[in-house]
Amino acid sequence: MKRLLKHLKGLYKESVLGPLFKLCEATLELIVPLIVASIVDYGIGGEGGVGHTVFMSILLVLFGAVGLGFSVVAQYFCAKASVGFATRIRGALFDKIQTFSYSDIDRLGTSTMMTRMTADTSKVQNGLNLALRLLLRSPFVVFGALIMAFIVDARSAISFAVVIPILAVVVFSIMLISMPLYKRTQNATDGILLRTRENLSGVRVIRAFCQEEDEMAAFSEANTHLTGIQKKVGMISSLLNPLTYVIINLAILWLMELGAIQVSDGVLSAGEVLALYNYMSQILVELIKLANLIIQITRALASASRIADVLDIPSSERSGEITEGAGGDVAVSLSGVSLTYGGSSEPSLSGIDLTVRRGETVGIIGGTGSGKTSLVNLIPGFYPATEGKVLIDGVPVEDYDVVALRERIGIVPQRAVLFRGTVRDNMRLGHKDATDAEIAEALKVAQVYDVVCEKGGLDAIIEEGGQNLSGGQKQRLTIARALVGSPDILILDDSASALDYATDAALRRAIKTLEGERTVFIVSQRTSSIMHADKIVVLEDGEAVAVGSHKELLGSCDIYREIHESQFGGGEQVG
Amino acid sequence: MAKKQEKAKRGTLGKVLRYIGRYKLLLPVSILLALVTVALTLYIPMIIGDIIDIIGSGYVDMPAIAEKLGTAAILIGLTALAQWLMSTINNRVAYHVVRDMRNDAFRRMSSLPLSYIDTHPHGDTVNRVINDADQFTEGLLLGFTQLFTGVLTIIGTLAFMIYINWIVAIVVVVLTPMSLFIAKFIASRTHSMFKERSEREAEATSLIGEMIGNQKLVKAFSYEDEACERFADANGRLGRATLDAIFYSSLVNPTTRFINSVVYAAVALTGALLAIGSLGAEAAFTIGELSCLLAYTNQYTKPFNEISGVIAEFQNALACASRVFDLIEAEPEVSDAGAGLLGRAEGRVELEDVHFSYTPEKPLIEGLSLSVKPGERIAIVGPTGCGKTTLINLLMRFYDVKSGSIRVEGEDIREVTRHSLRSNYGMVLQDTWLAHGTVRDNIVMGKPDATEEEIVAAAKAAHAHSFIKRLKDGYDTVIGEGGEGLSQGQKQLLCITRIMLALPPILILDEATSSIDTRTEIRIQKAFAELMQGRTSFIVAHRLSTIKEADVILVMKDGNIVEQGKHGELVRRGGFYAHLYKSQFPTEVTE
Repeated sequence: MKRLLKHLKGLYKESVLGPLFKLCEATLELIVPLIVASIVDYGIGGEGGVGHTVFMSILLVLFGAVGLGFSVVAQYFCAKASVGFATRIRGALFDKIQTFSYSDIDRLGTSTMMTRMTADTSKVQNGLNLALRLLLRSPFVVFGALIMAFIVDARSAISFAVVIPILAVVVFSIMLISMPLYKRTQNATDGILLRTRENLSGVRVIRAFCQEEDEMAAFSEANTHLTGIQKKVGMISSLLNPLTYVIINLAILWLMELGAIQVSDGVLSAGEVLALYNYMSQILVELIKLANLIIQITRALASASRIADVLDIPSSERSGEITEGAGGDVAVSLSGVSLTYGGSSEPSLSGIDLTVRRGETVGIIGGTGSGKTSLVNLIPGFYPATEGKVLIDGVPVEDYDVVALRERIGIVPQRAVLFRGTVRDNMRLGHKDATDAEIAEALKVAQVYDVVCEKGGLDAIIEEGGQNLSGGQKQRLTIARALVGSPDILILDDSASALDYATDAALRRAIKTLEGERTVFIVSQRTSSIMHADKIVVLEDGEAVAVGSHKELLGSCDIYREIHESQFGGGEQVG
Repeated sequence: MAKKQEKAKRGTLGKVLRYIGRYKLLLPVSILLALVTVALTLYIPMIIGDIIDIIGSGYVDMPAIAEKLGTAAILIGLTALAQWLMSTINNRVAYHVVRDMRNDAFRRMSSLPLSYIDTHPHGDTVNRVINDADQFTEGLLLGFTQLFTGVLTIIGTLAFMIYINWIVAIVVVVLTPMSLFIAKFIASRTHSMFKERSEREAEATSLIGEMIGNQKLVKAFSYEDEACERFADANGRLGRATLDAIFYSSLVNPTTRFINSVVYAAVALTGALLAIGSLGAEAAFTIGELSCLLAYTNQYTKPFNEISGVIAEFQNALACASRVFDLIEAEPEVSDAGAGLLGRAEGRVELEDVHFSYTPEKPLIEGLSLSVKPGERIAIVGPTGCGKTTLINLLMRFYDVKSGSIRVEGEDIREVTRHSLRSNYGMVLQDTWLAHGTVRDNIVMGKPDATEEEIVAAAKAAHAHSFIKRLKDGYDTVIGEGGEGLSQGQKQLLCITRIMLALPPILILDEATSSIDTRTEIRIQKAFAELMQGRTSFIVAHRLSTIKEADVILVMKDGNIVEQGKHGELVRRGGFYAHLYKSQFPTEVTE
């Protein structure tokens, strides 16, 4: 929490005034029993009579009204401080995440980052709001009641001094015991959640193997387990009310006894005994509130520290200053490059040497996990090479200004993701100022211009996640997006998988016809997508086992031939 | 409309009561305990009032006080015990009811037609079984403990107040509902603010989902600055909407507290005036009675303030329950009770004039006829999304044909039980699915009584033994949900092992299009080839070798079978297949 406090800057006024007004309200509440005592002793029992009674009753209402006023002001300040705080944290998180490098993103994971921004910030918001309102107020009322009791009558007030710690111990130990049990309930719930989800996702297999009854039995067992834990937690947490009830009421009885003696000694009046009784009742309510509050605040603090962890991560993205390449014949060159991802002991790429001339098309092929994507990710500097050098236009990748470098590279990632918005918005993702003509040209090359026209042109709306498009359409749109701004280097990372072979071929032909010298990298699992490339890199377990043309590789590289034959048939080993 | 909803709500309540009815014996006990608790809780302030009166009478009669204190102590103990027993019983009933409902829901899930499961988002169904059921338990518990005792407390307090002094009772009855009105007033005013907030929240969340969810893409296109700007806007709007909603709704508590203090003052005033007026009279209104009434006032207003919240909670619980009931009562598959048993087939499959569509507006398969002899291979080819899985759905009877018939061994598959039909099939989908459990658990699915030797033999035949051996705990390695920790190819090999163990006479295989490393790929092909020996097989094919060797090729396009025949015939015909073949395998044609 401490680490986040700097985000409270500018909200100090609210964070102080909120609790302050809350305390004013509590003070008024502490005076009420004294007024009632005065009605009893002076109004009913004394000379005050009707006049005093009416006056004091009006005073009670007045106190209530002023208390309401204080409270409304306090609620406003508290809400403003906590909402403002949450909004700032959310903004800070978002901005921070934007500075993360690919390695940072891998380490944190997407879902973690999203949970921090949504669930965690909202927990912090609620926690802060409650803390501002109640964290000071509840102890204030408890100790206030104690002090007031001592002012009224020190001897009777001893019962207060005894009962408060006992109550506190009972309330907090029940909370402490049941909290870890609640966690176990959560785990058990996750168990049945897993079973349910599995039963749906695997429905075909389960039914094909007639496993319905077994699944039912497994679910039923997990369900019974959950119910058992729930009952146990319920039993413990439902001790809270009866126990505190017994304690506070016994304390009241004790107070009555002490009071009776004091009254008979003439030290105390009946009205004052009534006031003490009222103070005792106030304490219980506030202690229970406090215990609940502490649970909520603990949760909020856990969220806060998770958020602070993210904010404290130093971004590992480095940017140089060079914006222009050194020119020359070679567009991309890798020498002795290896790459080991953070948290992994094995290198994903090792000893890669590759020289690509301007305008060449390079095919990269290999099985899953062979390092194809890792290889192309080095070119825009998404990951720095662990060893060796990556040069783009003769300049080391890390010396480039990140934005300038990526502007010259068009990337089509494996997963075809489009954002909600118009086609135009999506096409302008990397180039804000792209003209409609440029976009149309890119769409044509990507074989998707007709589809866009059908859907209503550049203003056609793409729904969230591109739901209103087919897989192939999405993929072609992402290709078009990479072509906007005519990049010098184009990277297609297995981006034709949802296209049928005819469209794939048309796309490759169209890219060839584009103006200017374009260096193209095509990652694929299909030999048909890369067989026309000038150079094919065959990867296996992170190593380039062979580099050459289709013809050469068929003759010289067993792995390449295996891949090709497994797709085109005819080989003996395929059977 | 409102009436209909009302009726539906009552329907749900009735169903909930039927579930609760299974715990008939516990219920009256709980009600009795609630009565005891409330009565005792209300009686104790009267004793304390008596004590205060004794104290206030000028002469403090210590023995009398001691006696009263003793009674009170015993009653307090009893109250606490009753309270605890009651909540324990309530917990038990509520948790058991929910357990039963979840079991029923899960059981129904197992007999739902595939069309339901395919058309309803899985997340939604899971939500019903988990979250809705959870919220229902909470609401039910709250209803049990608070609604019931709350109402009892209100009635009891009123009765006691009238018993002590009816004038003060009237004052309380007239003034207390004010807090309800105000709470309702604020709630109706803040409703639109909450709506606004949840809209803004949805906006921000979906932006977070898009941008942070695709952070790498954002970086690849250097879109960070624009993303920040867009988020700052959305975040600001969310902040403003949240502030309004939180602040205005937080007014409810202070306002009701204020109303309560007004009621408190009114009781103090009325009571005091009565006491002054009756001073010295025989049936005087005493200070003890006043203290008792003040205590009651607090007790009375508390459930009054809570009750509206509890009712809302309870209604929400009913809404959740009705979502769970929707699932429990969803139309199950046509029962196959009384249907015959299909013995072990030889592998003869006939489709006769089959018509099928998922939705009536979009006819899919029309008039498909096909006759497959035992041991034949049927290759299904066509571009992605052409409906190859539809055919699998029909063969496995995941869906029923609209008209026409499918016969296995001459028996219409609708006339035999699903289990006996499906145990004749072995299915390996490209979209592999493994259950959370050990490798062995997954393998023995099709033959639960398989011996260790049989399992290993099957794994060897499926070329899976060598990789399974290398796993951390061999055959006892626990696989995560969805086969976590295994590569795509390994998952598929395990699925093949499953089939290899059961060795059913008819196979449905789905060749992988991509994503598998070469070596594994070759193993899978070998395993497939071994499996197909002498078995009727339907193969969704991508590989030319598979297609060429098939006895019949079914060419599908847009859900329809457009051509049917052998490779050579189809190429000569120059139709859709020939076109597909040329575009897919350009070199084969040019060479």
